[in-house]
Amino acid sequence: MNKQSFDQQLQQQIDALPKDVRPERDLWQAIERGIDTHVAPKKRPYGIAAAIALFGLVGTLVVVQQRDDAQQSLLAQLSSQHKQQVDSLLVKYAEQPALTDNWQAQLQQLDDAASAIKKALKEDPDNMALLKMLTQVHQQQIDLIEKVHAPQWQQI
Amino acid sequence: MIDAQQRFDPEAALISAAQQGDKQAFHRLYENYLGMVYGVCLRLMVDRALAEDATQEVFIQLWHKLSNFRGDSKFSTWLHSVAANVAISQLRKQRSWLSRVFSSEEVDISDVAAPEVEDHQEDKLAIWIARLPERTRIVFVLHAIDGYRHEEIAQMTNMAVGSSKAQFHRAKQMIKEWMGHE
Repeated sequence: MNKQSFDQQLQQQIDALPKDVRPERDLWQAIERGIDTHVAPKKRPYGIAAAIALFGLVGTLVVVQQRDDAQQSLLAQLSSQHKQQVDSLLVKYAEQPALTDNWQAQLQQLDDAASAIKKALKEDPDNMALLKMLTQVHQQQIDLIEKVHAPQWQQI
Repeated sequence: MIDAQQRFDPEAALISAAQQGDKQAFHRLYENYLGMVYGVCLRLMVDRALAEDATQEVFIQLWHKLSNFRGDSKFSTWLHSVAANVAISQLRKQRSWLSRVFSSEEVDISDVAAPEVEDHQEDKLAIWIARLPERTRIVFVLHAIDGYRHEEIAQMTNMAVGSSKAQFHRAKQMIKEWMGHE
């Protein structure tokens, strides 16, 4: 295939690619929830007095601070609940031998990943992908503890 | 004589209303541009779930950034760059997380080929693009499909202009090879 024909063929295929693609699930509800947690970005008329602007700034800072506090509180609650769940499983399986030697190292590795995600969430509290990753890592920790102590493994 | 069509720009009216906090107007903008935004995210990220999350993030950011839009460029162009930047940023965060998890293996995540493409993507070029390593794919998509200049891509991806050109060349070579094998 010479260069010209390849470039032409490639360009034809690029032109034929659909530029608009619709997602299979409805995304609006989550977006609406996301924007409802914030103050609407209303424009202010230029003539508003400086005093009102100052009040607006203070008010916005308070609302943003409250929102951040609420999100940090949610994150703290999520972490606390997860820790309780992990602790309870560790107590439950304390007397039961594990089936792999390195499961605690794996658990620690997942813990490090969770800490990294939580740190990133503090900087970017609205990032749903990060929140999803955190819940996935938490679930992986639960699965790991349960799997290495699962009775059916012991029968093998 | 100026006709009514020229005087009234429905999109400008929607943008203006959304800038004032009108959520219904914002929802109309969402409906109008969902396909474009999701398309950008999906081409860059390959994974449908990640692209959906990124699309949600784009529209949430759009709600907050809309007041920054002054109409200096076309709204679609401006929104396209917001979407591309969000998708690249999400990929970078994901890569950073993967690097932390797999740090002991010293894997260069950016150079790992994308996972197998799902069956619904029947278009051959779409499949080949998805098979490209991440950085190569980002450059190819942004330059060849979305029309960004290498200078712009370099800025968006924090890579040198020369690297962007090299990645684009690499993408073409890989696609050329796959095309020859078909």
